[in-house]
Amino acid sequence: MVEQWPSKPYMWVRFPSLACAKEVRRDPAAKMLLRGRWDKLYTWVRDPSPARSKTKKIMDIFKKFTTGFVSTVIDKADVFIVYLDKSKNVSICNTKVESLTSRNKEEIIGNAWFDALYHDHNSISTGRQMFQAIIDDSAKYKRPNNFESLFTDKENKERLISWSITPILSESEDLEGMLLIGNDITELVERQNSFRKIDETLKDIFSNIREYAIYVVNLDGKITYFGMGSEVMFGWQKKEIIFKQARLLHPKDESEPTLSYILEQVAQFGEYETEVEMLKKDGRAFPVILTITRFLDSQGRLTGYIFIAKDITERKKLEYQVIQSEKLAAIGQLVAGITHDINNPLFVISGRLEIMLQEKKLDKELKKNLMILNEQAERIKKLVDQLLKFSRKSTPKFITLNVNEVIENILPLLAYHKLSVANINILKNLQKDISLVKGDLNQLQEVFINLCINAYQAMSEGGSLAIKTCNLPNRYVEVRISDTGKGIPEENLKNIFMPFFSTKKEGTGLGLSICYNIIKSHSGTIEIDSEVNKGTTFIIRFPFVQD
Amino acid sequence: MSYKVLVVDDEDAVRDVFVELLKKEKYVPKQASNGEDALVLIEKEAFDIILLDIKLPGMSGLDVLKKIRETKPDLAVIMITGFAYDDELIAKSKEYGCCGYIVKNMSPSKIITSFKSIVKKEVKK
Repeated sequence: MVEQWPSKPYMWVRFPSLACAKEVRRDPAAKMLLRGRWDKLYTWVRDPSPARSKTKKIMDIFKKFTTGFVSTVIDKADVFIVYLDKSKNVSICNTKVESLTSRNKEEIIGNAWFDALYHDHNSISTGRQMFQAIIDDSAKYKRPNNFESLFTDKENKERLISWSITPILSESEDLEGMLLIGNDITELVERQNSFRKIDETLKDIFSNIREYAIYVVNLDGKITYFGMGSEVMFGWQKKEIIFKQARLLHPKDESEPTLSYILEQVAQFGEYETEVEMLKKDGRAFPVILTITRFLDSQGRLTGYIFIAKDITERKKLEYQVIQSEKLAAIGQLVAGITHDINNPLFVISGRLEIMLQEKKLDKELKKNLMILNEQAERIKKLVDQLLKFSRKSTPKFITLNVNEVIENILPLLAYHKLSVANINILKNLQKDISLVKGDLNQLQEVFINLCINAYQAMSEGGSLAIKTCNLPNRYVEVRISDTGKGIPEENLKNIFMPFFSTKKEGTGLGLSICYNIIKSHSGTIEIDSEVNKGTTFIIRFPFVQD
Repeated sequence: MSYKVLVVDDEDAVRDVFVELLKKEKYVPKQASNGEDALVLIEKEAFDIILLDIKLPGMSGLDVLKKIRETKPDLAVIMITGFAYDDELIAKSKEYGCCGYIVKNMSPSKIITSFKSIVKKEVKK
């Protein structure tokens, strides 16, 4: 009766031929044994004839060397060696066999092999019956067989042993006995399994990496591996780019360092890391950190290069903003110091001019000149005042407010600024249930007025000024102020928020940098989008008031 | 009767302009070029208004204001500064008990106008 099928699928039977395997499968006893789990029965087909000729030699050796040096060698061998006679009693066995049973060598020899092997702890009788069937097959058909099965050793550990069973025949081809040689393959199989696991884990890891593009280039510069992350980053499908030149991913007018230079460095030093621009499939360039390492085969020969690219577009943007605001802060400090020192002498000049102008008996010509001086002093004062505003240390007085209301309030003020040019339409598109934000009313008014004045100035020929507000899903309120004016060339966009940057004849170049500082102190962001002859849009975003 | 004003500023030229402008407005100005001298004068003479620069060498304007408050809690002190938009300084001055704050970035006539309006509000005689 079959008690239990071993929980592990280590029950492999190696048959000398497919016909033999089929025969075993047809055997009712085997069928019962396997309980229909044919998938657990592995079959190898092997030509038995060379093995049989070998058996003759082995038999000869056995006959010649049953004592002396060879006997010692057999005894010390790290494999299980057992010789069974025709009735399956043990004639010879080595010390290694003792590790499988609680009996010692002397107790094993002369007794039935299966009783010795399975007498106590190796109670898996499925294994016993199978092993017996295999040996019977070898005896009956005089052919070698292989058998792998789990055994429990003396220390109660499971061992997987691969047995090779060789029938030993006499000169007249009669069965004399059976040579069993067993190999402990537990560790070997475990290692194989762990390798398989590592392989699968690596595959999983690679398919999950999307932040990094990993690809391999061979010595001809052709892409031989293109990971999931690469597809995402570059927009190329694996099948489109495989075996194409890796140059495709680099700009044509290669900026330093060039791909060939990089590969030279890698070949020489093993690794190279650099910041470069790379190309997406649609031709857009983007900044990456590229790490390239040598790809060596198991013999240590260079077979290609492993590329790992990280898209740093967002980081670059952030870096730029940080640099920008650091610059602004430094300029702010400088300006604060200078303007304070200008204020005093300026006060004296203006004061003296006023005192002189109050003289009743003033020469007409002199008075005219003094008036001019006074006017110019006023101009300096206005400039200084703007600089002071720019470098202001004031902390905004935050209240909860509705940006729509702020905008509604500044529109009449624009008229006061004498900027309501006849042919400019104002288009308002303010979201009704706009979320509230925390802000300093005066400062926000200043920002919106400033941006509207800029828009007016950009449309000297007329156009439309659109003011739009809306809630963003990320809990930000967005204000867009757009004009249809002359736009700003790309080379100027970079510096647009820098202090003293101006393209206007009478500008101080401080307006937008003041706006930038104010929005920053409101934990908001300000961005510009512009196209020459189409118009400019300022996009401002503020966080919602937290409930 | 006209008010006695003490102008405290370390720059002679600035002080002189204040003194002349105040005289024209019929005030009686006196001057001090630093905090220490100002405190000595305030002990000796009775002033109605102190016009005090925030940025002084040695003892700062704020320190002088604090000292004045120890002995004369009701004396009108108006701070003058070149730092126009410094909320921190304004808040400190108020905390120490100044009664007004004038920024030097306005034209002198406007400064005197705002000086007069503070005096009108704060100084009772």
